[in-house]
Amino acid sequence: MNLALLIAIPLVFAFAVALSRPAQARLLATIGTLLPVALYIVQALGFPWLRGETDFYNTDAIDLFPSLGVRLSLNADTVSMLLIGLTVLLGPICVIGSYTAVQDRLKTYYGWLLVLQAAMTGVFAARDAVLFFVFFEFTLVPMYILISLYGSTNRKAAATKFFLYTFTGSVIMLAGLAYIAWVSATRTGEWSFDLTTLTVASSEYLSNREQAWVFGALMLGFAVKVPLFPLHTWLPLAHTEAPTAGSVILAGVLLKLGTYGMYKFVLPMCPEAALAYAPLVAVVSIIGILYAGLICWVQTDVKKLVAYSSVSHLGFCVLGLFSMTSIGLTGSLLYMINHGLSTGALFLLIGMMYERYHTRSMKELGGLAARMPVWATFMVFFVMSSVGLPGLNGFVSELYCLLGTFQAGDEWAHHPTRAGLGGPLGPWFAAVAAVGMIVGAMYLLYMVGKVVWGPLVEPHGHGAHAHGHRHSAGAPASAPSDAHAHLPADLTPREIGILLPLAALCIFLGVYPRPVLKALEGPTQQMVESLHMHTRGSLQTPWPVGAPPPPRPAHTAPAATDPHDVPANQHPADEPPAAPASGGAGAGSAQEAGH
Amino acid sequence: MLGTLAQHGTDTVGDGAAAAGAHVAHAAESIAAATPGAELMLAVPALTLLAAILCGLCAAFRVRSKLPAWLSVGCLGASFVCVLLTYLNLAGEHGAGGIVPRIAHGFEWLTFQWGRGGTGGEGRSFVADFSLYVDSLTCLWMLFVTGLATLIGLYASEYMVGDVKTAGYSRFFAAFNLFVLSMSCLVMADNLVLLYLGWEGVGLCSYLLIGYFYKKPSAVAAAKKAFIMNRIGDLGLSLGLMLTFVHFGTVQFNELWPLIQSYASGATPTPFIVQLIPVLFTVGAFGKSAQIPLYVWLPDAMEGPTPVSALIHAATMVTAGVYLVARFLPIYALSEWALPIVAWGGALTALLAATIGMAQFDIKRIMAYSTVSQLGYMFAGLGVLGSVGAASHVFTHAFFKALLFLACGAVMHGFAGQLDLRKLSGVQKMPGWRIVGLTMLVGCLNLAGFPLITAGFWSKDMILADAFSHPQFRAIGWILLITAGLTAYYTFRVYFRVFMGPKYFEPGDELHAAAHGDDHGEAHDAAGHVTHSAAPHGQHMAAEGALAAKGHAHDHGHADAHGVFHPHPPGWAINLVLTILALATFAAIPLFFIGDHHGWVGDLVHGSSSNPASAAAAHEAAMHGHGPHGGSFLGMDPHAVMYYVSAVVGIIGIGIAFVLHLAGRTTPATSRADALLPALGPIARAAQHKWYVDELYGVLFVTPLRVLSHIFHLIDKLLVDGLVNLFGWLPRGIGSFVRRSQSGVLHDYGLRMASGLAIILLIVLLGVLR
Amino acid sequence: MTGFASAMSALTGAATLTLGQSDFPHPMHQVTLAHYLVLSALLFGIGLIGFITRRNLIIMFLCTELMFQAAGLALIAFSRFHLNHTGETFVIFVLTIAAAEAAMALALVVLLFRRRETLDASAWSELRG
Repeated sequence: MNLALLIAIPLVFAFAVALSRPAQARLLATIGTLLPVALYIVQALGFPWLRGETDFYNTDAIDLFPSLGVRLSLNADTVSMLLIGLTVLLGPICVIGSYTAVQDRLKTYYGWLLVLQAAMTGVFAARDAVLFFVFFEFTLVPMYILISLYGSTNRKAAATKFFLYTFTGSVIMLAGLAYIAWVSATRTGEWSFDLTTLTVASSEYLSNREQAWVFGALMLGFAVKVPLFPLHTWLPLAHTEAPTAGSVILAGVLLKLGTYGMYKFVLPMCPEAALAYAPLVAVVSIIGILYAGLICWVQTDVKKLVAYSSVSHLGFCVLGLFSMTSIGLTGSLLYMINHGLSTGALFLLIGMMYERYHTRSMKELGGLAARMPVWATFMVFFVMSSVGLPGLNGFVSELYCLLGTFQAGDEWAHHPTRAGLGGPLGPWFAAVAAVGMIVGAMYLLYMVGKVVWGPLVEPHGHGAHAHGHRHSAGAPASAPSDAHAHLPADLTPREIGILLPLAALCIFLGVYPRPVLKALEGPTQQMVESLHMHTRGSLQTPWPVGAPPPPRPAHTAPAATDPHDVPANQHPADEPPAAPASGGAGAGSAQEAGH
Repeated sequence: MLGTLAQHGTDTVGDGAAAAGAHVAHAAESIAAATPGAELMLAVPALTLLAAILCGLCAAFRVRSKLPAWLSVGCLGASFVCVLLTYLNLAGEHGAGGIVPRIAHGFEWLTFQWGRGGTGGEGRSFVADFSLYVDSLTCLWMLFVTGLATLIGLYASEYMVGDVKTAGYSRFFAAFNLFVLSMSCLVMADNLVLLYLGWEGVGLCSYLLIGYFYKKPSAVAAAKKAFIMNRIGDLGLSLGLMLTFVHFGTVQFNELWPLIQSYASGATPTPFIVQLIPVLFTVGAFGKSAQIPLYVWLPDAMEGPTPVSALIHAATMVTAGVYLVARFLPIYALSEWALPIVAWGGALTALLAATIGMAQFDIKRIMAYSTVSQLGYMFAGLGVLGSVGAASHVFTHAFFKALLFLACGAVMHGFAGQLDLRKLSGVQKMPGWRIVGLTMLVGCLNLAGFPLITAGFWSKDMILADAFSHPQFRAIGWILLITAGLTAYYTFRVYFRVFMGPKYFEPGDELHAAAHGDDHGEAHDAAGHVTHSAAPHGQHMAAEGALAAKGHAHDHGHADAHGVFHPHPPGWAINLVLTILALATFAAIPLFFIGDHHGWVGDLVHGSSSNPASAAAAHEAAMHGHGPHGGSFLGMDPHAVMYYVSAVVGIIGIGIAFVLHLAGRTTPATSRADALLPALGPIARAAQHKWYVDELYGVLFVTPLRVLSHIFHLIDKLLVDGLVNLFGWLPRGIGSFVRRSQSGVLHDYGLRMASGLAIILLIVLLGVLR
Repeated sequence: MTGFASAMSALTGAATLTLGQSDFPHPMHQVTLAHYLVLSALLFGIGLIGFITRRNLIIMFLCTELMFQAAGLALIAFSRFHLNHTGETFVIFVLTIAAAEAAMALALVVLLFRRRETLDASAWSELRG
């Protein structure tokens, strides 16, 4: 019931905004996003998720299409609750953060913002694959409108690319889900899209070949959303063009749909394929970490730099997921929250700067600490959080992701049949990925050094005391030329007010993350156990990874007698499938050893 | 290689776990984790955090007084008292000055448990709490860290007085306290992760404080360089951390020691992975402590305010690397290569930095290079398993180097930012500069290793003797001995030129005042920056630059109505701090003659959980009996003869400096050393340009990486995004071809309808006919 | 459908022109269904050719009317052939709609003429792709 309320409140207020006068839109939107926060806090405190229990918030499910088994069922476990919390928190921050940035077509703006809020909450709460997909896709529409109406100069192209790119990926994902549902229906004789049913069906009924294909389909959909390395090009464009609130939501929540999908769908539904292709995904993630990081280093547009940094950062997140260890999964889930907080805040800060100077170019800006000391303080703070400074939130998740990757081999060493192969990932993956820490420091400090420190550089005619604001063609269509005349040089209390909760959370999650870690112990442990249970190690990794098989006398003996392993040995692993494309598109050519 | 590492990773966990079981009992009795008595140490991070928060609030509420300074000095002084009380309370219970290690538990931080009853085997946990590990090594470091922080805070209260009217004053002290907080976490951590927190935390504070004059591009660049160089080191430390966890299953010190000890007998060969851990730690230590190849950030770090240079970049933070190695000496001893790497890295750095220091003209930079050089001594000492000598040198160096920096800072403060030794002369004879001159002399004598009456002599001597007592490290001993002579020379080069000789001064370029006044006009700033960036290191400072700078002098209030500059002698706070530090260096001498193990510091080191004696034994076992034995200095016992040798070398160095830079010198800018320049020519020039190492790094690393980044950016735009756009263009291209059929003319549509109809008819009719 | 099939066979001339299930009443004893259908086809063809070849909007419109009526004629013929009222019912609907449509179409033509002062259909090609 509470989950339904969390979704319904923004929706109701969206309708209210649509029916109201433009002057009231701001107020209605603020209430419509603040109410869920209050509701969430009340509910989150009262429920036992901190004790690591996994399923609660059961909602009475409603049958939508009984013949197809599509149900309106909502439910949240710890992981969903955390991400819903992030969504709910960012809602009012985006609304309040847009008070001055958006000046016309207010009803459209706030209305769609509220719809987006409801859709994102729905994605994390849905327990039915069709419902999930509907919410998943429905996040695109408001975002498309926000970018294409309220963005910068190139907004139309960016919005179109964003929509088409992610939509293409998710349609392929839908095909994968539909296939699982079909297999499940043919086995059980009853259509159902319930996630639990699908998970069971997929992990137990699919052959290795089928699992590889389904893995590829699901991964493609989610990898575009994350975005993983070769599929990332929509993101910098969308971020650069989107309005501030759009960027915050995009970085804060929408990207997490991808990683959440990997956690909720890919790993439990295709454990065998995930295990076999984890090295591939990891390599792609690591390439992304370093490649995007280096690209950040040569950007001149601050927002684009932060956008590329998202690609780099989420590489760590995916790496942690595919370490398939408790600690790696925990790190990855925390990473989703932390990235949402710190990168969201960075986008807010860049938006505040943009409102004042109407440029984001590092060539035109510099030394803003002299003009905006409060802004600079927050900027350095969130940059440090993003760099992964211990004591702030980013460090915890980064360390856990790397640690999980590092000791993945060790964890999986106890697996009955895979023991000889070592884990999916290993020390070398972590060691190379850790270089990303240096690259991260390089580009973020480069940005800080240019924009925050150094001699003061402001765009021409833009002295803080001379209100000759530049009306360039690059100014957003939604910003009337005189809109910012009243903005002071440094941050207003309203702006500080929306940054403070984020900063407080960054410190809390960095200094005392133990409650959250403890809450995640249970669910990640369950996930790892089910992964261990549902993998036989019969789908071979395309190339030898980690430790070579021989020297584990204690474990290799039972492994060799395992019936599943025998065919695997007959088809040696050094016969790789035709170079699988990104996201495991070539997965189908993998050997289907056990069948 | 790849396989080997991973294999070891999985292979040795079992061993580690077994060892853990075997040694749990041992750990319980020797560590006595539950012993109370160290809880007072928790007050140190609490007090410094409180001070940092209060200073932050001062900035937020626009406090424009010296309040932040007094808050800081109060809190730091209180934390020093806490450390002192803890030490006095516990000292002597474990060996002469040793302390039974104990843990003060704070709160659960990064603790995680998994694998309970699952398929993953036994339950496992990653425990990294906010807990303090207190033994005598910790106490040693904490004593001088908090003590010096208090004194330097007091000094800074006067030194930074120009910024009282801006937010800079509060900002400075907030970062200052945050630094002490991080340093206390680093030194007192009971696990590697908390140590890493402190490690990165001091890096952050160093970044913030080097970049304190944030309007100066050179300061910003230096801050960035320091942070990134440190991050490279941190990468090594973090990998070492993960490797430690994967291998030993814990990162807590009190659980690690027995596990490490289990290899020390030499009965089982030390696994490759265990030998790798100290090497990775060394990368971290070399980054933080500015050793080859990661030393280049430290001289640039002198862009920060002088109290920062004194506390962070001379006395405390840069010794964190030494602390790390000293703390992990047991695991270093297990490795065949880690100790030689440390020793050689340290010795070469000592020599290289000394040669650069000889050729510089900026006195702060000379001191910076001497810091790098002295840190090299400490590492060399550690590398030859002389951790007592290294720790002693850390201790004495902290005091005399802080003293030197603070004295230089007083000069810089009084002469409007002048640091060029060619533009200052005879300062000691000027009114009000007597205390500075005398204390500077004390510092220089210590650094030069003047025999008997200086603490620096005794600690340096121990390292030299240790190096010569190992036959395989004799070369290191010689390098260090030569460096000792060079050190004495360049130290007194500074002293003789700046403090002695004819009285002369030119004021500096007022950067100090211009750069941190937040309310100064932009044009003025710009002028300051141009001047500065044209001569980043001061040695090219042209006369006209100095003249132009005179024009700015009015800002600082040291010029009278006619624009004539008057030097500004230090006030009571600076003089008091200098005097205390100078006295402290003398007070440290008797400490070398008490206790059982080469003095008080030796007792502390021997009484800690990183006992060098057992480490030496372990190393001998690890080296299969080829341990250090019977080294000699030219056939004599090094420990007996080294006093005389190093005394002679030091005095020779001072003598050469006297001949070249004081005797018969009449002008400030020239000396007899200039006569040698033609003979040395290119060598001197190369040394003056720091052997072109910065340029080399630029060519080797920065430029290629930049180019690579640009290439990646192009690839991203053209290839990766190009492919995506190609898919976008494909339907578009097809559409543009097909669209031509839509003529818009009614007749065309009609004709096509008709022909379609005809075709259908035809098909139907043909079908009927068939 | 049987009606359609037989009509097809009639058109091809393959089948004899019997009167089908019912006896086709005199007086037009010799006029068979085929005659009507051929006439209808001719009308349709004329309309079609006129529609394609002529450019005057009104003529084109008249041609479409011609095609309509061709279809109507065929329907009437079948209705008579099968002795039921289905076809006639259709035709009444078609006529009604054609009338309404004619009114609208002519109004549109007038409007179009006012815009361009011409009745040439090729003057309007805004829908070109």
